Amino acid sequence: MDLDHEIYARWLDRLVRVAFVLAALSFALYVSGVLTPYVPLDSLPALWRLPLPEYLARSGAPVGWDWLPLVARADYLNLAAVSLFALMTLVCYLRVIPLLPRLQAALAIAQVLVLLAAMSGLV
Amino acid sequence: MDAATAPWWIWPLALFALTYLLGIVAVVAGIGGGVLFVPLVGSFFPFHLDFVRGAGLLIALAGTLAAAPLLLRIRLANLRLVLPLALAGSIASLCGAIVGLALPTDVVQIALGATVVAVAFLLWRTDPAGQLASESDALGEILRLKGEFHDPTAQMTIDWRTHRTIAGLAAFAGIGFFGGVFGLGAGFANVPALNVLMGAPLKVAVGSSGLVISIINSPAAWVYINRGALLPLLAVPSILGIMLGARVGARLLHTMPAATVRRVVIVAMLIAGIRALLRGLGLWI
Repeated sequence: MDLDHEIYARWLDRLVRVAFVLAALSFALYVSGVLTPYVPLDSLPALWRLPLPEYLARSGAPVGWDWLPLVARADYLNLAAVSLFALMTLVCYLRVIPLLPRLQAALAIAQVLVLLAAMSGLV
Repeated sequence: MDAATAPWWIWPLALFALTYLLGIVAVVAGIGGGVLFVPLVGSFFPFHLDFVRGAGLLIALAGTLAAAPLLLRIRLANLRLVLPLALAGSIASLCGAIVGLALPTDVVQIALGATVVAVAFLLWRTDPAGQLASESDALGEILRLKGEFHDPTAQMTIDWRTHRTIAGLAAFAGIGFFGGVFGLGAGFANVPALNVLMGAPLKVAVGSSGLVISIINSPAAWVYINRGALLPLLAVPSILGIMLGARVGARLLHTMPAATVRRVVIVAMLIAGIRALLRGLGLWI
């Protein structure tokens, strides 16, 4: 197997395992009530049927990266765990770029820029 | 029980059970879980479609990320093949997610319902084995869209290459846009695009499709996260369920009757698609 494939596979495998465990643990803390959520669980059934703009207005839930200071709250700790799944392609790309031929490396750098633009919340 | 008066904990439990089952049948039927998850949960659960699409993207992402390492190791997924296609698809999926969240819900429901019904017919009618490419086209040669894998059933190593690269890039841009709008991985479209259009062997097409989804869905997922359209109480049990179910599905792959499972999936898609259509049209709320 090519080295870039091997390293991409190894890094992705480890990241997925970590994200899975963190998601399971944070969810247990959330639904068991050990950690207090920002939006109370009992109020969610009245909110989750609303369109997004109305949900945001009624719940006061943050958008963009404004949730980061709330990561000690159960729901946002879970969001952080879930976000790892959206982050790991970027990490794997950054790891293999130095191993790729020039043209493929350029494509991978472009992909990283697309992911960073999406993550930034500016688009 | 009325959905409005049911206690909150019923729904994550139900989601976990449903996605566990979806994880099993999705692997056996050779589709991504999102194409069943979004119409089923969007139609039969109390969550708004905005949140269902966010969770749909995440479960398609998590399932394919989990499968990708093995697919890369056994050479059924090829990073060099995926790099240009995923880039085209990622840019489009980013745009699709922005458009999808801006569209009125009933429009998305109708389009989703029509699309899922069309995909069900496509799955029913399509013979997945396309003609293999014998020579690369010029762009495919420049991008080195070729490789080899060992096929244990045929007891031979197969050298492969792809052609119609520009058409392939356009197809993946379309697939990415569609996935971003509806919150799907669109594996059902990736495989024909790689196999029938670009001439990759079916096994490489199936394997690389998973890797493509894991990359294409990431920017769209960030749009849903940044806009606040990801409810952890919906997304986390669904991710855990689909990942555990997919592991069981992978083990059952050789023993479960794939043709029967495929028929069950098609029927489920038809029911969910028609329900979404009727809901969007205001005929069955």
